[in-house]
Amino acid sequence: MVLQTIITGLSIGSIYALMAVGYSLVFSVLNFSNFAHGAIITLGAYIAWAIMVHFFKLPFLPALLLSIAGAGILAFLNERIAYRTLRRRRAPSLYLMISAMGVAIALQNLLYATIGAKLYALPPVFTQDSFEVGGATISRMDLFAFAFSVVAIGLLHFVLTHTKVGTAIRAASHDMEMVSVLGVNLDVLVAVLFLIAGGLGGMAGVFMGVRYMVYPSMGWITNKAYIGAVIGGLGSLPGAIVGGILLGLLEALVSVTTIGSVQLSTYRDVFSFGILAILLIVRPTGLFGRFVEEKL
Amino acid sequence: MKVTSIVWLSCLVAVLGIAFLGAPAYAQTIKIGHEVALTGPNATWGQSEANAVKMAVDKVNAQGGVLGRKLEIVAYDNRADRLEAVNVAKRLVEQDKVVAIIGPAQSGVTNAIREVNNSAKVPVIATTATNPKVTVNDNGSVVPYTFRVCFIDPFQGTVAAQFAFKDLKAKTAAILYDVGDEYSQFLGKYFVEAFEKAGGKITTNEAFRSGELDFRAQLGKIKYGNPDVLFVPTMQKEAALAAKQARDLGIKATLLGGDGWGSPDLFDLAGPAIEGSYFVNIAALEDPAIQDFIKDYRAKHKEDPVLPNPVLAYDAVLWLADAIKRAGTTDGEKLKAAMEQTRDLQVLTGKLTVDPKTHNPLNKPAVIQQTKGGKFVYVKTFVTTD
Repeated sequence: MVLQTIITGLSIGSIYALMAVGYSLVFSVLNFSNFAHGAIITLGAYIAWAIMVHFFKLPFLPALLLSIAGAGILAFLNERIAYRTLRRRRAPSLYLMISAMGVAIALQNLLYATIGAKLYALPPVFTQDSFEVGGATISRMDLFAFAFSVVAIGLLHFVLTHTKVGTAIRAASHDMEMVSVLGVNLDVLVAVLFLIAGGLGGMAGVFMGVRYMVYPSMGWITNKAYIGAVIGGLGSLPGAIVGGILLGLLEALVSVTTIGSVQLSTYRDVFSFGILAILLIVRPTGLFGRFVEEKL
Repeated sequence: MKVTSIVWLSCLVAVLGIAFLGAPAYAQTIKIGHEVALTGPNATWGQSEANAVKMAVDKVNAQGGVLGRKLEIVAYDNRADRLEAVNVAKRLVEQDKVVAIIGPAQSGVTNAIREVNNSAKVPVIATTATNPKVTVNDNGSVVPYTFRVCFIDPFQGTVAAQFAFKDLKAKTAAILYDVGDEYSQFLGKYFVEAFEKAGGKITTNEAFRSGELDFRAQLGKIKYGNPDVLFVPTMQKEAALAAKQARDLGIKATLLGGDGWGSPDLFDLAGPAIEGSYFVNIAALEDPAIQDFIKDYRAKHKEDPVLPNPVLAYDAVLWLADAIKRAGTTDGEKLKAAMEQTRDLQVLTGKLTVDPKTHNPLNKPAVIQQTKGGKFVYVKTFVTTD
């Protein structure tokens, strides 16, 4: 049973990690928590639903790729419309975060108003989804999602370390002013940043849609991913991945633990948020954090 | 000037005259109010409910009415909105002087009009308000003039447990409930009590919190206990997720649920994972007990009634008519006492006995439905035993 719990934890954790990377990426350069990320993830899932179920009945892979592209573009537009002016005016990052919250609420309500609160399921990718290994059940979809995420994050790592844009992004995460002075077009850099973050979000949204279902408030789950990002250290990519997976594992283990007659599964969120609170006291920068400044 | 005054005066006289002439005619009917959502998101059920109330009243009137007088329904649209419902209740009580009110259908709306009908001593029979607190105050005392004709939520837990033990011959059961939802919590609690009382064993009692999507950790633990049935007292969303994840993990237990499952999109969301599960519901079109009613309804309205509201509202009218007969008067206090003393009254869905301490029907028959081939299939009408 412990093995099963760990597998479940890894499966949940890897989705947290994928979402957490989106938070960390934006935070690393712009120094604010982009709470609209959850809405982008939700829209990514809706794009997949539209492509796979509602309009074209396309198979999973094209739908996944189109959702990644679509969510990336939406994130780009989100930045263009909601953040760019603030950014250019050098508004404090608190304002950017508030703007992000506004976007998140607006997009969610837009979904309620247009598509409605109805729940949708994405068709299963594998007809026989699970197989047994040593008494534990493993889901093929989970493995696929895991592998795909690893490839995507590997690709991101490559872009960050081996391309001009990536180098500029890394440089900007240290000092945006300086990078700008050195002649890098910040608008292009930020656009690329949001395209990547949105694309990863769209991917996470599709995986969630297949694993669970698609509905307007599904972005709520990103609260957990955000905690994962903070645990790992906001702004750090390895931190986001480790933090997300750790949180998933911890939640799964807490869920099956019983102390006396008290089942901890009902206390799952108390643990998640409690750990966040404690960590912020003990180590405000998270496990891999670099910044020692205000986090918003 | 003078001409206008004369016109006004004659108008006044005329109005008074009509009022006086009209008064005796009005006194001959017994007015019953109907709080119903005829527009808004609940209109589908509300309109069907209004049709059924009218059919029930026509039937009572065709048999000579009550106390030698005919029943008259005064129905107003409350849009299932709390504020609107209060306005409607005031209008029914103050202007129309109804002797009792059928509806509202929703627990929250029934609570909203509680002050109005209780201070005016006008009994209300809620149709599908299943929250226990509708008729019972927090301190355990009964709300004097609020009744209901449906069973209360927790009762479904008892039904599911007894059905699992008796009909499915289950000896062990596990529960996965939503700790953030009162409905789910109560169903789970009553299920455990009834199942253990019957002699069954609860292997695992696990919970999740509203909004969670992944129950595989809890289900993994449930699988370990290898239960015969798994009770998931939630809405269709969590039921679908739990079913999919349980089957993915290889849990073979029969799944059981409450009326929260009874939404057609359950099949879209859960796919084949939900096949062959059972759940408790208030009413079903195939229920043999209500076939005559359904035939009448179809003949009159050229469509199926939208369950469960019409059936319950119909029962409410029969209950009220019977109580007025026994009370011999339409006086609020006496009518309320007669309603409390209702015993084994034959209504559509079975025999109605009212618990004076809670104003809930006792041992109300429930319907068991099965999910089969993408449809809800009627299995049986289940009456609990103590």
